[in-house]
Amino acid sequence: MAKQYDVLFRLLLLGDSGVGKTCLLCRFTDNQFHPAHISTIGVDFKMKTIEVDGIKVRIQIWDTAGQERYQTITKQYYRRAQGIFLVYDISSERSYQHIVKWASDVDEYAPDGVQKILIGNKADEEHKRQVPKEQGLQLAREYGMDFYETSACSNLNIKESFTRLTELVLQAHRKELDELRGLPHAPTLARLEEDEQQPLGSEDTPKTCWC
Amino acid sequence: MDQSVAIQESLAAGATCRIAVQGLLPAGHSVESRLLGLVERRGQHAIYVYTHRRMAITAEDVWLERIIPITDGFAVEEVVLDSDLHVIGSDVTVRITSADGGLTVQLPFGSQTRTFLQELSRCSAEAVGSEGVKQNGKKAAVSQSSSHDSTDRGTPRQSKLKSEVRTEQVRASRVMASNKASMLSEPKFGLRDTIVKSQLVQKEDSYTHIQNYRVFVGTYNVNGQSPTESLQPWLRCDAEPPDIYCVGFQELDLTKEAFFFNDTPKEEEWFKAVTDSLHPDAKYAKVNVKLVRLVGIMLLLYVKAELALNISEVEVETVGTGIMGRMGNKGAVAIRFKFHNTSVCIVNSHLAAHTEEYERRNQDFKDICSRMQFCQSDPNLPPLTIGKHDVILWLGDLNYRLEELDVAKVKQLVEEKAFLELCQYDQLKRQMKANAAFEGFTEGEISFQPTYKYDAGSDDWDTSEKCRVPAWCDRILWKGQRVAQLSYRSHMALKLSDHKPVSSVFDVGVKVVNEELYRKAFEEIVRSLDKLENANIPSVTLSRREIHFEDVKYMQLQVERITIRNGQVPCQFQFISKPDEETYCKEWLTANPSKGFLLSDAEITVELEVFVNKSTATRLNSGEEKLEDILVLHLVNGKDYFLSITGNYLPSCFGSPIHTLCYMREPIQDMSAESIRRLTLMPVDMSDDPAQDEKPMDIPKELWMMVDHLNRNASQQEDLFQQPGLRSEFEQIRDCLDKGMYDTFLGSNHSVAEALLLFLESLPEPVICCRFYSSCLESASNYGLSCQIISDLPACHKNVFEYLMAFLRELLKNSGKNHLDVNILASVFGGLLLRPPPGHAAPDVAAKRKAQQFIRQFLLREDHLP
Repeated sequence: MAKQYDVLFRLLLLGDSGVGKTCLLCRFTDNQFHPAHISTIGVDFKMKTIEVDGIKVRIQIWDTAGQERYQTITKQYYRRAQGIFLVYDISSERSYQHIVKWASDVDEYAPDGVQKILIGNKADEEHKRQVPKEQGLQLAREYGMDFYETSACSNLNIKESFTRLTELVLQAHRKELDELRGLPHAPTLARLEEDEQQPLGSEDTPKTCWC
Repeated sequence: MDQSVAIQESLAAGATCRIAVQGLLPAGHSVESRLLGLVERRGQHAIYVYTHRRMAITAEDVWLERIIPITDGFAVEEVVLDSDLHVIGSDVTVRITSADGGLTVQLPFGSQTRTFLQELSRCSAEAVGSEGVKQNGKKAAVSQSSSHDSTDRGTPRQSKLKSEVRTEQVRASRVMASNKASMLSEPKFGLRDTIVKSQLVQKEDSYTHIQNYRVFVGTYNVNGQSPTESLQPWLRCDAEPPDIYCVGFQELDLTKEAFFFNDTPKEEEWFKAVTDSLHPDAKYAKVNVKLVRLVGIMLLLYVKAELALNISEVEVETVGTGIMGRMGNKGAVAIRFKFHNTSVCIVNSHLAAHTEEYERRNQDFKDICSRMQFCQSDPNLPPLTIGKHDVILWLGDLNYRLEELDVAKVKQLVEEKAFLELCQYDQLKRQMKANAAFEGFTEGEISFQPTYKYDAGSDDWDTSEKCRVPAWCDRILWKGQRVAQLSYRSHMALKLSDHKPVSSVFDVGVKVVNEELYRKAFEEIVRSLDKLENANIPSVTLSRREIHFEDVKYMQLQVERITIRNGQVPCQFQFISKPDEETYCKEWLTANPSKGFLLSDAEITVELEVFVNKSTATRLNSGEEKLEDILVLHLVNGKDYFLSITGNYLPSCFGSPIHTLCYMREPIQDMSAESIRRLTLMPVDMSDDPAQDEKPMDIPKELWMMVDHLNRNASQQEDLFQQPGLRSEFEQIRDCLDKGMYDTFLGSNHSVAEALLLFLESLPEPVICCRFYSSCLESASNYGLSCQIISDLPACHKNVFEYLMAFLRELLKNSGKNHLDVNILASVFGGLLLRPPPGHAAPDVAAKRKAQQFIRQFLLREDHLP
């Protein structure tokens, strides 16, 4: 039987306090939802194994404290991530506006080539919506990120968004992976992928740190 | 036999043959055998190709034909041959290319080839890595042959090295090697893998169902003959074509060459004869033919072509039990494979001959069982033995005889077809009953006459001199669940040998995997492992996450407690430093204990202590720093918790600069934070500036309070400045000074004296400013120069110095009572008034003596400074 687990990636959830980062994590890993908000004061993580392109990927998902006073500390966790979720709450215009700040922190502290996607959470609370979907899409387009409106409460797009980010990370690390798996890297495939990556706004070929 | 030994003997000193493999080169319509040795010399590698004399044993058996260096441009690719016969797990044909051309060679199936290819791929990878070195060195590993030298001229521009050994085996080995380098995997992965595998085995029933497959098993001792007659009566005796054929031969070739060289033309003849006689109603794929022979023992395996894809993990092995317990005139060959999800092992053995040797045969059986070891696809796993398989089919010339009866009696019973009675004298039946051999195996009822020994070409019993007693030498047994024997027969129509072939047809229940259910089971296992793993991430609860220290005062310890309560997983906790910080917390804070270990459900109380001393007081007074910190409590392999620490500090004259205090006419705690900040941050030089709105006091009022108190009450106090005060009294004195309750100055003389010393010690800028430290020491014995330095001090510092000296001189006047002398006071005050600048080395004995000397001058002289 072939090896069951091929890779381990670290994904990080970022965004203002109360946007539902912990809930996204709980829904994805345990398929549970607790509506009461308990502030994450610290950094928590959970493991999950998923299969992408026939590769068993173990992802370690880090949930960080969103409160501003902890941000100088949480930044030190960025550099260990290969993928980052930028999360806002569709019922909070403020949390949406703060994405700019979160994204610039990521640029500053996360490794080059880190993959990012934008998440508008609490999509079930349509009646409280302050951020139209188009606005989220617009921002994602500006940053060259994928965008999902999710709901941890109604289990909307949870698996999809986690899988998507994992896919992106996997693609960004395809070369190392192929080397690791002993497959000769097909040059045509490589060229295609590089072309694909340019519109995503990555300034150079991802330099990856696996450690 | 390892033929690398022969190659090694032929090599010059310094060269090593790491592994050798025998392969076939196409030569026109036939093939020629070559030995390929992977040779290492001075860290570089090459393939040496030899012509050889059959099984090479010594250097005399091999002749070097060419050398293929493993350098830039070297590549190995698997060649897929067009063949109408579907082949699995068979020989590998590879194309080796190097700078000067190439070589196509067919390598035999098996672990030797696999290892050879793995080594090759490793060496070629190394060759890329050391390219630079090689370019410089210019001289490659081997220089024994001209053909090799020519390759050095190769094409250095050919930069793209393709190392595409695409065989399964090599790929598997790469995965292994890179996993060791392991930037991705954690050590846990290995364990996890093992758990998943074992749980998959446990849950096998949930994703497999049993399906019967028909298996034909045949055994035939051919007595060294060639197949001169059709094998159809043996192999094609049923109407329905079997799904699998397992056909075993013994005594394929009785010549000496076969015995010594493990190579015989008979092999091809019999293979062809079998292939031609297979059931015509099905198309068969061969699963590995070659190598599964041990001198005269050969085992052929065919499966229906459409089932070939369900066969995996094919391995072959041989064990010799003949002369010296190793040579191959007796022994066994075996094929193991996985058919769907059922592991199958087929063994063809030829055990020791002669009636009386039944114990030898038992021993042979045991030897075969223990020494037959199949490599596993995962090299980390131990080799598989025969017994580890779900289904074992054992065939061969087991050579067990009929005992106790004479020839005539046997023949008579055969004549009467009293096989049941005859079986009572069969050694195998008896040994099995006694559990001496073939334990756990089953043999069907024998309803055919003994298959040995006949006159060749007839059905007549042996008429030679020896006139052997007929025996059931040729047998088929099985072990495992869900094996049903449909027939067990001999085939009298075949007459070329002194044995008759035997066959048995089985229905074997095979575990067939339902891919969807398998996936489901697999995912379930992974999910539960994830869950387990998440539950095993250490986690604690904290009694509080926010800790506030109210009204923290100078040098007054405050303690708050938090309780860490552990969850189920024993864990190690530790407060860790934040980025760019050397310690886990600010200087004024400590956590006790700062790390530890907690068993499940255990709890521990951590004391958080705030203590502001001279090194932190000034910045807290000024508000440059606040009593705020975040502690990161880290659980090893687990989460991090943040603890917020806050507090308010009551400003104090302790830790405030002299000039600042000179401007504070009110008690410090009556002043606004803003004024304190401004005055504390004001540079000392500014304080002398006449442009300053307010005129400063000559000396800090707090200093005056303490000195005046001592002057009035303690001039005759015994051991003043030498006895410690009381901590509680110090706190009262500090509060009086900071709140301006000067009239209620409480405490003993010793406490006030100590407070004075602590005050001087807490001054961020000592009375004699740091920048004068060195010159003071230099002029310690020159009173004139010393006085000059004092006069250069900022006015308030100068005032303080003179005030203190005057006070100390007064004290000395009462030395009869207070027992003070110049030396005591100089040593107490020298270190407080004269301090080296920050970053300066701590004063040594000589420096301390000079500082005392400096102060002494002023204690001894009454006269006023210039």
